[in-house]
Amino acid sequence: MGVSTPFLGMAVLAYMMVVFYLGWVGYKQTKDNDDYMLAGRKVNPFVLAFSYGAAFISTSAIIGFGGYAGAFGLGILWLAFMNIAVGIFIAFVIFGSRTRRMGVNLKAVTFPELIGRRFQSRFIQGFSGALITIFMPLYAGSVLIGGARFMETALNIDYNIAILILAVIVAAYVITGGLIAVMYTDALQGALMFVGMAVLLIITYSKLGGVTEAHQALTNMAYLVPDNFAAIGHTGWTTMPAFGSSTWWTLVSTIILGVGVGVLAQPQLAVRFMTVKNTRALKRAVLSGGPFIFMMAGVAYIVGALSNVYFFNTQGMISLEVAGGNIDKIMPEYINSAMPDYFVVFFLLTLLAAAMSTLSSQFHAMGTAFGHDFYRQGIMNGKIGKTITVTRVGIAVTIFISVVLAYILPPGIIARATAIFFGLCAAAFLPMYSGAIFWKRMTRQGAVASLIVGTFSSLFWLTFVHAKEATALGICQSLFGQATLLSGTWTFVDPILVATPLSFLVAIIVSLMTEPMAEEHVEMCFKKN
Amino acid sequence: MLGIDDPQIWLAYILCFVSAIGCIIYGALKWNDDSDDGEVN
Repeated sequence: MGVSTPFLGMAVLAYMMVVFYLGWVGYKQTKDNDDYMLAGRKVNPFVLAFSYGAAFISTSAIIGFGGYAGAFGLGILWLAFMNIAVGIFIAFVIFGSRTRRMGVNLKAVTFPELIGRRFQSRFIQGFSGALITIFMPLYAGSVLIGGARFMETALNIDYNIAILILAVIVAAYVITGGLIAVMYTDALQGALMFVGMAVLLIITYSKLGGVTEAHQALTNMAYLVPDNFAAIGHTGWTTMPAFGSSTWWTLVSTIILGVGVGVLAQPQLAVRFMTVKNTRALKRAVLSGGPFIFMMAGVAYIVGALSNVYFFNTQGMISLEVAGGNIDKIMPEYINSAMPDYFVVFFLLTLLAAAMSTLSSQFHAMGTAFGHDFYRQGIMNGKIGKTITVTRVGIAVTIFISVVLAYILPPGIIARATAIFFGLCAAAFLPMYSGAIFWKRMTRQGAVASLIVGTFSSLFWLTFVHAKEATALGICQSLFGQATLLSGTWTFVDPILVATPLSFLVAIIVSLMTEPMAEEHVEMCFKKN
Repeated sequence: MLGIDDPQIWLAYILCFVSAIGCIIYGALKWNDDSDDGEVN
């Protein structure tokens, strides 16, 4: 491509300078633990909405799920709808206000700490911290892959080097600036992403002759679906996959439900509710949050699917062929060949922003989960010990694992790796988290039981039943001599559909069978402030 | 509708717009509302 290197270099440099300036502002404002962990609990609603949105939507959504739309079509728009209705509206209005209030009442600074204190259990806090530390690198690794894939295509640099560059830059400002730096840079990055995606949508529709025309052309391409995709239920890019087929189950259970519902129990997002001053700020944040997610997720999926029309018109091929069979390369290839040069540069910044904002919040969440929740509360029984050093070491180690994962995960993995993490969070945390803030009768035993059942039933299903992961891991094969323990439709059903209901059920039954928690403590948790 | 034949798809397409606009309206109406929703007593 013909983007001039000096121009590109200057754009990236200018952007980095602003990011580092904001990181420095965050560093200067960080005076105590509440600041580092929660940005002092007085964040502005627009900063909240944009930073939440930017942390939520990453290269994983734009490159990974956009690529998925390129391969499998517009059915994934249901996820965009869920992202707005559940990920913004329900999350902010229903979960957010209660989470904020309880966070203040219990003086909690992390998501595991909120739940742990509500149920007066160090085990819950330590175990949740460990779970986040172990599994979030899977998600962070896939965000790194997304950013690196675009840098590889647009800048023509080595993919492996791109991963390292991204990780080092983000680590630098997370470790120094804490959550204030993370949220300020996220908000700037969010604004950049908003403009970038808006331009992408407009140029795409206008290149393809208009909204209806573009969709019609995509509808007319249904006969081009490759035979191997048609065999697993792909019926075209503007139709849902055949009901009950493996493609349908993956789309509906793993992608739409797994990610759409799993967002409610994402530790790095839930912690943001505790950063605002009052409920009003949360409600105000809905105003900018809804359209923001629409511009990110909705646009990425629409454009991803429509890239088929563009490539068919210009090269006579569908997107997946152009990308050499790697769905993670569909969006980078499309943007690189269809967009004007100046926009490729701008979009590179957009994606860099998207990757950095999500990575920074993930690194922050992983580091605090390890240092504060797992080490301090879980191991040291609340004594401060070497918490600060351990947190920094925790950040460094989890970043290292994320980078290693980014190297070793197979191609075309972004959307799935993200969905696995979201699904695990839904099963392990959602029943306990919703019980904590909505159900006064929920007991410590109920919470512990649901955390354990949710975690292990989800992992069991991934290892022994859900064909995609079970086959790849090979554990079931070596233990039992067969790829999966169950057969037929069960092997397509995502863990979230099995583990989350089970975990909810266990939470309710065990809570009702055990002694209620001390009324005084429960009242203190729920009191108004 | 909109060049998309499958109602399961155009419905999702439209709902994306509706929910985004819904968020704008909600945020604007509740701009100064500080009460918590879904109170349990």
